[in-house]
Amino acid sequence: MAAVADTKAVESPQRTARPGRAKSFPVWRWVILLVAAVYFLIPLWSALRFAGIKALGSVVSQAGFTDALWLSVRLAIVTTVITIALMLPTAVYVHLRLPKVRRLLEGITILPIVIPPVVLSVGVLQVAPGFLKSTPYVLALMYVILAMPFAYRAIDAGLRALDLKTVVEASNSLGAGWITTLFRVVLPNLTTALLSATVLTVALVLGEFTMASLFLYQTFPVWIVVFDQTSGQVSVAASLLALFVTWLFLMAITVIGTRRGRRTGRGQVTLFTVARQETKGGA
Amino acid sequence: MTSNTASNASADGIRQVAGARSTSVVLQDLSRSFGTTRALDGLSIRMAPGELVALLGPSGCGKTTALRIVAGFESADSGSVLVDGKDISSVPSAKRDMGMVFQSYSLFPNMSALDNVGFGLRMRRIGTADRRKRAGDLLDMVGLAPQAKQYPHQLSGGQQQRVALARALAIEPRVLLLDEPLSALDAKVRLQLREQIRTLQQRLGTTTLFVTHDQEEALSMADRVGVMQHGRLEQIAAPDELYKHPATAFVAEFVGVMNRIPAELQDGEMVTALGSSVPVRNQRADVSAGPVDVLVRPEGLTMQVIEGGNGIVTTRTFLGSVTRVAVLLSGEVTVQIDKKLPGRHAGPGYVGLGDPPRRPGADSVKALAAYPNRPAGA
Repeated sequence: MAAVADTKAVESPQRTARPGRAKSFPVWRWVILLVAAVYFLIPLWSALRFAGIKALGSVVSQAGFTDALWLSVRLAIVTTVITIALMLPTAVYVHLRLPKVRRLLEGITILPIVIPPVVLSVGVLQVAPGFLKSTPYVLALMYVILAMPFAYRAIDAGLRALDLKTVVEASNSLGAGWITTLFRVVLPNLTTALLSATVLTVALVLGEFTMASLFLYQTFPVWIVVFDQTSGQVSVAASLLALFVTWLFLMAITVIGTRRGRRTGRGQVTLFTVARQETKGGA
Repeated sequence: MTSNTASNASADGIRQVAGARSTSVVLQDLSRSFGTTRALDGLSIRMAPGELVALLGPSGCGKTTALRIVAGFESADSGSVLVDGKDISSVPSAKRDMGMVFQSYSLFPNMSALDNVGFGLRMRRIGTADRRKRAGDLLDMVGLAPQAKQYPHQLSGGQQQRVALARALAIEPRVLLLDEPLSALDAKVRLQLREQIRTLQQRLGTTTLFVTHDQEEALSMADRVGVMQHGRLEQIAAPDELYKHPATAFVAEFVGVMNRIPAELQDGEMVTALGSSVPVRNQRADVSAGPVDVLVRPEGLTMQVIEGGNGIVTTRTFLGSVTRVAVLLSGEVTVQIDKKLPGRHAGPGYVGLGDPPRRPGADSVKALAAYPNRPAGA
């Protein structure tokens, strides 16, 4: 996840900077890029040195690898579905009918960042009924809370770029009911925002350790830590592999989102905002 | 949904069907409050079938609220909207069959121009082939057939509003609602689109409610203009009637350019202003003799260059057929005067106002209306 966020952060100032200014500081841009690259690449390179290429190949055949990875993937899917099913209608409703509540909702959605995961886990362990605690999907429910700030912001940015109220009213006046409007007009214009939300949620779930280990479920990150006690090299290789696969997956989502965006002028998938493309002149 | 009898999808077909079922709209005593502000205060308007009525007024006068109530996006606290004699207050906006063009660009960004126009037809379950043909015809009608495949972000503002107009007309609406559709566009495009909308509206015969704060737009396009203030209708009349016989001081000053000149009302119907006595048109019944303000149009005043006159020319604006001259009179009163012939004096200088006119019979000062003096600075 860190790697993806990094490439974006380095890329975007270049794109938005005015040409005149950009030209006068080319050296600084390269210096910053280099520092960032060194900062992120050295640990990766060291890990690769430590694990060795051979260990990478043997990861897949290790005991528990497939189960742990599969559990993490299932959790990622369930979390994403629940998050979007909850946040999308909420965000749309708030935008349309309760614009004054938007600030409040923004405040609420930021809470999970402030509250440490340990506190949340202990709280849920105290309160959750037995049948919930006995299924790993209790993790998904908590991940939904963790993902809330990111997902909400991504969707909110998408809605802001859309002029939701006008578009919904236009659809309404043309004879479309609420459901039709949501699926034919609102959703197709939020694909970029939803992809952003998905990227963030998936990255979060695939990397979450604290809660999973407190609840004693062997998700992929937990498996890596446990396996580290048996073979350090293989465990590091697994981390590398996980990083690479996650990165590939997130890049794929980003590329698809951007390509769609280019066709309809919806702008690019960035992690927190969906930049609106300017319309061609006023004339 | 509605009687979509138009199996013939050509522009002619659309015209015939739309013309055949022109709709009357009645706004009956509409009131609406937002918190403590009264957005609408007993608004009543009767629109004849095929008529284009413009609601004109400063922002916050309630004109947009009225339009949104007709569209079904707002509900009135009291009063009702009748379409062809039927109360539609309980009909949801999606079933009202009203085409609407919005102030901000409202095209669906994920659809091409053609799909945007076809959206309403799709909602009415019209087959793909038929839908595409009709949408194409409508795009052609607004002169955008070549742009059919383009997405909204590839179109200019003016083009987007034309697509929005085509989209609103595609459903053969019973009523067309225009919510300041031109205000986001630049002057030249606005002028073109203004004419295009009016031409189409007359051709299709669609009853249209048009909301604007631009008096020029309202006066040039509408059959009748309703001037609103504080949620009330001040006057509704044909544009020339509104200009010549404003019912209230607000209408008189809001529509067209108006001078407010201190004067003395005499018994009867004469008023003395700028040294000459003239008859008063449109005198309010509740004004008694004494100091008043008279409202005079720029074309109702004449001026003459004289030595030691009582006014100073401050600016001159060339408007084509006339030159509008601003003259500063004593007492910090500035008046606007339209001079028909190109001004003979080269620049600022002293002018006499209200001096005997050179053409016999013409009044030097034509008073349009007389109203009580307002306290200075109000």
